[in-house]
Amino acid sequence: MTTRLTIISGGLREPSSTRMLANRLEASVRTELAGAGVTVESSFVELRPLGHAIIDAMFSGFPSPPLEEAFGTVADADGVIAVTPAFNASFSGLFKSFFDVLPEETLSDMPILMGATGGTERHSLVLEHALRPMFSYLHAIVSSRGVYAATDDFGSQTNGAVLGERIARAASDYARLVRGCGSHHRRDSFSEETAAMERLLGGGRS
Amino acid sequence: MQFGIFTVGDVTPDPTTGGAPTEAERIRATVTIARKAEEVGLDVFATGEHHNPPFVPSSPTTLLGYIAARTERIILSTSTTLITTNDPVKIAEDFSVLQHLSGGRTDLMLGRGNTGPVYPWFGQDIRQAVPLTVEHYGLLRRLWREEVVDWEGELRSPLQGFTLAPRPLDGIPPFVWHGSIRTPEIAELAAFYGDGFFANHIFWPPSHTQKMVETYRQRFAHYGHGSPESAVVGLGGQVFMRPNSQDAVREFRPYFDNAPVYGHGPSLEEFSSLTPLTVGSPRQVIDRTLGFREYAGDYQRQLFLLDHAGLPLKTVLEQLDLLGEEVVPVLRKEFAVGRSPEAPAAPTHQSLLRERDTRAAKAKP
Repeated sequence: MTTRLTIISGGLREPSSTRMLANRLEASVRTELAGAGVTVESSFVELRPLGHAIIDAMFSGFPSPPLEEAFGTVADADGVIAVTPAFNASFSGLFKSFFDVLPEETLSDMPILMGATGGTERHSLVLEHALRPMFSYLHAIVSSRGVYAATDDFGSQTNGAVLGERIARAASDYARLVRGCGSHHRRDSFSEETAAMERLLGGGRS
Repeated sequence: MQFGIFTVGDVTPDPTTGGAPTEAERIRATVTIARKAEEVGLDVFATGEHHNPPFVPSSPTTLLGYIAARTERIILSTSTTLITTNDPVKIAEDFSVLQHLSGGRTDLMLGRGNTGPVYPWFGQDIRQAVPLTVEHYGLLRRLWREEVVDWEGELRSPLQGFTLAPRPLDGIPPFVWHGSIRTPEIAELAAFYGDGFFANHIFWPPSHTQKMVETYRQRFAHYGHGSPESAVVGLGGQVFMRPNSQDAVREFRPYFDNAPVYGHGPSLEEFSSLTPLTVGSPRQVIDRTLGFREYAGDYQRQLFLLDHAGLPLKTVLEQLDLLGEEVVPVLRKEFAVGRSPEAPAAPTHQSLLRERDTRAAKAKP
């Protein structure tokens, strides 16, 4: 059995601690799923190179080909790992903007593992007060445990081990969720709209 | 195949001078543009409908009636008439009169309108836009086709014993196009009734237009109106031309960069590669436009947007000269080459009349 994971990283720097956390989450989920006999195919979507395209899509109403490809990668996934840096007590604007232009219903019924990075632990509830409500609004199925990593987690050896444990626990929960959800059905709003009109014409007076 | 222009009717300051025409100047300029379109040999002039500044065409049939009196040959259409906020009885009346005055040089394009605040001004609700479209259009068709209409719907007061006056010219309802930028529902609606489908095309990538047109063609056949190739398709396009392409790009850039619909997003170059916008020489416009056929199939009507974003009237008229003299004659010739025998010509009042008479003659024992 194969499960497709798409990992969305909103990191802005190179190298990026957000991408590092995304990598560790992906690796840990992969290990968990492998243990259950599931092969993982992972695709990474980095938001920084899509920055201009995301704003352009807001203004023009349609995505450029690289952004459309990223949308396709998300839509085709059986599970999504989404990681953002925390800025000013919330997700980054770029991360939010990506989900603002992502076609409606893409994340409907999609199992999601949340991650965030930040300078201090003071931001750690960003997962619960910013990411979880947004993904709930988008009808995603958000895994109970997300992972927040602060500079201290990456900096000190003892904390590093603690972060590793948090990642492993979150990955274990999420792997069970992904297996439970099975393969994700890609929504096609184009044909859904056409079908809705057909019903209306059939039922309406003419 | 028909060629023409469609205007949005925006009053936009010219970014190179800061000056904007008055509403009166803009409306009169629109008439000048329409007359020029006929003079240079185009087939269609179409105006949008808007009810909020900075747009002036709130009463398209008034404008088209005036233009009808000052032209001889050109077909007068809308792009689009709002089927949601206009009352279908009034649409039927307005276009019937326009048909009679223009000698049948009338068709129309229907759209829903996507400006939320406009709906309540006309007693409607944008959340009902799709059901309004279906109900209003169903009624409009009957008003044009049945002598006495008894009708009851959910979103409009009922009609009892209503007869449209005047009846459509020669008993032939104006040909209807359904216009859409983005919405597959409209392709389905056009297909259901066997009407024309106009893919606005200009603000969206060809891949999307292709999907919309393909859907319409398949559904047109599904509903039994004929083969997919016999469906009636129109496309928008947007061009800015100068004999030398660098001049075109240099001159158009400030308009593109500041236009409310384009500005501050993708660059002129990016937008040109992502959408059908073509800024360059007449030859480039010809090549690009001929390329539309590759993804839309043989189609019936091509409309260009020329007069927006604050372009001065003089420039627009120069664009029309280039379009009429250098572009459209070549397009007419080239589009005819290898055209599918199943692809019909664009319906006109005369062709619909002939079709009906032929059918009537065949039906006689």
